Amino acid sequence: METKYILDENDLPRQWYNIQADLPVPLSPSYNPQTKEPIGPEDLAPIFASELIRQEVSTERYIDIPSEVRDILTLWRPSPLYRARRLEKLLKTPAKIFYKYEGVSPPGSHKPNTAIAQAYYNMKDGIERIATETGAGQWGSSLAFATQLFDMECKVYMVRGSYDQKPYRKMMMQCWGAECIASPSKETNAGRAMLEKDPDTSGSLGMAISEAVEDAASHANTNYSLGSVLNHVCLHQSVIGLETLEQLKMAGEETADVVIGCAGGGSNFAGLAFPFMRERIAGRMPDCQFIATEPSACPTLTKGLYAYDFGDVSGYTPIMQMYTLGHGFVPPSIHAGGLRYHGMAPLVSILHHEGLIDAVSCHQNEVFAAAVAFCRSEGIIVAPESAHAIKTVMDVAEECRRTGEEKTIVFNCSGHGHFDLSSYEAYFAGALPDYEYPADLIAASLKDLPKIQ
Amino acid sequence: MLIGFVVNPVAGMGGAVGLKGTDGAVEEAKLRGAVPVSPGRARILLSLIVPGVHTFLTAGGPMGESLLAENGHPADVVYVPDGTETTGEDTRKACQVFTDRGCDLILFCGGDGTARDVFAVVGDTIPLLGVPSGVKMYSGIFAATPAAAADCVNRLEEAVMTDAEVMDIDESAYRDGRLAVTLTGIARSPALTGHLPSSKWATDAMHEGRAQAEIARFIIDIMRRDTLYLIGAGSTTAAVIQALGEDGTLLGIDAVFDGDIIARDLNEEGILHLLNRYPRVQAVVSPIGAQGFVLGRGTQQFSPAVVERIGPENFIVIATEAKLSRTPALYLDAGNPEISSKFPDSLQVICGYAMARRMPLIQ
Repeated sequence: METKYILDENDLPRQWYNIQADLPVPLSPSYNPQTKEPIGPEDLAPIFASELIRQEVSTERYIDIPSEVRDILTLWRPSPLYRARRLEKLLKTPAKIFYKYEGVSPPGSHKPNTAIAQAYYNMKDGIERIATETGAGQWGSSLAFATQLFDMECKVYMVRGSYDQKPYRKMMMQCWGAECIASPSKETNAGRAMLEKDPDTSGSLGMAISEAVEDAASHANTNYSLGSVLNHVCLHQSVIGLETLEQLKMAGEETADVVIGCAGGGSNFAGLAFPFMRERIAGRMPDCQFIATEPSACPTLTKGLYAYDFGDVSGYTPIMQMYTLGHGFVPPSIHAGGLRYHGMAPLVSILHHEGLIDAVSCHQNEVFAAAVAFCRSEGIIVAPESAHAIKTVMDVAEECRRTGEEKTIVFNCSGHGHFDLSSYEAYFAGALPDYEYPADLIAASLKDLPKIQ
Repeated sequence: MLIGFVVNPVAGMGGAVGLKGTDGAVEEAKLRGAVPVSPGRARILLSLIVPGVHTFLTAGGPMGESLLAENGHPADVVYVPDGTETTGEDTRKACQVFTDRGCDLILFCGGDGTARDVFAVVGDTIPLLGVPSGVKMYSGIFAATPAAAADCVNRLEEAVMTDAEVMDIDESAYRDGRLAVTLTGIARSPALTGHLPSSKWATDAMHEGRAQAEIARFIIDIMRRDTLYLIGAGSTTAAVIQALGEDGTLLGIDAVFDGDIIARDLNEEGILHLLNRYPRVQAVVSPIGAQGFVLGRGTQQFSPAVVERIGPENFIVIATEAKLSRTPALYLDAGNPEISSKFPDSLQVICGYAMARRMPLIQ
């Protein structure tokens, strides 16, 4: 009985899959935050590499992965697909559980799949420095890793709550030569304004994005890079699902019945799910179900509105149609589970809106309980983000035990949790509160969404 | 830190002999064979406090001096009671000296009666921490156990300063089987939030005022113009009124409509009158006291008739993280079992801007 399925380096995909080619309805345009006019390439040019702008709006089904990018990806790709036999045994389920493990990358998560590509295209455009934001630090460390491979500088604005809680992520960024500072900072107008308004703020991803965008816009040699949400990020992450489809065949599975991923900004979910969605839309996996799991503390898909909103707090980013809790939303800094972004990738949003993706939300104690069950059966101590997916996997597998269905479940185990052990410690100490979003009281809080048309 | 330590030597004596309180009944309790409770509680506390970290001021003899000495804690005796039988007046006088000497914390062993005596002198000028040793401990300044109080004293640097209600119980009514608890004031009390210090997670909860302001901002943002809001009592609900730009009634219930206070410090009759005029009503309440009572302790204005008219679904419960860390479950006594039973088993408690915690509700 095989436990893991390993592709040869030569089997690393040569093209990314772009779901924009297969959407049942096209994406709505994004809008310029100042003019409120539909956004064009020239609006994005000051802070994004030209090829990334092209990819953002492309409807080509496949886009070539540059050989320089593939060379670097082979440091850890293709990543393994595991059959979680011990978890199946623990759950006494007839379901077959497979997980794609992205924690084998040097920074320990799926994030470098796009960081390498973004750094490469910026380097090709002559950009010398990249500014970005990070929450828990997975993205910041991934971009730090990527930029130093192309001899570029990297400046990371890290959400203050995480900056204080996760010193090892800062040190990783330092190892890879990046400069990491707490956000809001005094180095940008946006940061200073936010500090003036609330000197004790624990920060948010939305605030950090505002700072990084301003940094990029005000330095000629600097571009901005976003680790999730945007179409080109989902594109780069499609290597996860493309590899998984091949590995499932190695395992004798032609289809999956349920595809599961956690969802914060949406890119790790999209990375696994979109190539499977291609199969569903084409009629080759007509019954495949897709489930995105999010925290009850930040339930964007399950409790948010499908509306136009800014991607950041200060309103510097394009206005996109997506599920949102409102760009001013700041999750509690003591929420340990990650996935704190107020919005959701427009591509994931539209597929949820069209009924192709289901969403569930979980309290963090039940998520950590799932994570502990997983590490005690499969051995891997997962990132709290990935644990959300595991919680849903266990729910589906237990339902299979009741119904006797032998479903094939595939999920994205997007990263390890070696730098999140203080959160595990808090869980074991009974010190993790179960936060939730007061959805019934909230409608009025979305009243300041930007008006389009 | 400089800690004032005082023991009410007769606290708790009435409980074991069925007196439901010792105030004014010490002789009766002794006749019934009661033995002192608080010295034993104080010994547990003092045996668990790390010696040499804090400096103690105390009162003479059984009010602290002998117990501190017994447990190896040097102390400066700053007040000596006159007679052999100590009274509430002795507690108040000792606390006055603690206040004058600039104590950082007053640590006391007693029940609600002792809490009331301490608070009468100190108010909210010095943080208070009670070691539960009385018959009744409804006030929010009590630690759950002597060991919990010792832990808090040992880790005072990590503690969060919370607002805590001081409750007054009518003891003669209580002995007659009637529970009449009123809210007499808001003290400050240290609490360990339960978060691990190494993770620095307590940062957000370090500032009670800031946490209350975030909750208030959210409540104001979700207020509807067509709804009457009954808000109170306590410092968290008072922060909502303050955020509207007005002074609220700290210990009472105010009414807000369309952003304006339309009535202050309402009694039951006043609330019922408003309920006749306004068809849409919501109540904004905060857990009160050591047990975290959402209704039924300290807010008699929300009588059974009022609660029934408002409806369980129209109660919005608010509390800061620090407050919730002291009350792992919430309690409810709507004054009528049938009405209480209409409340769910758990409540959503607003604890920040657009953020809530799910808390179990015990009836």
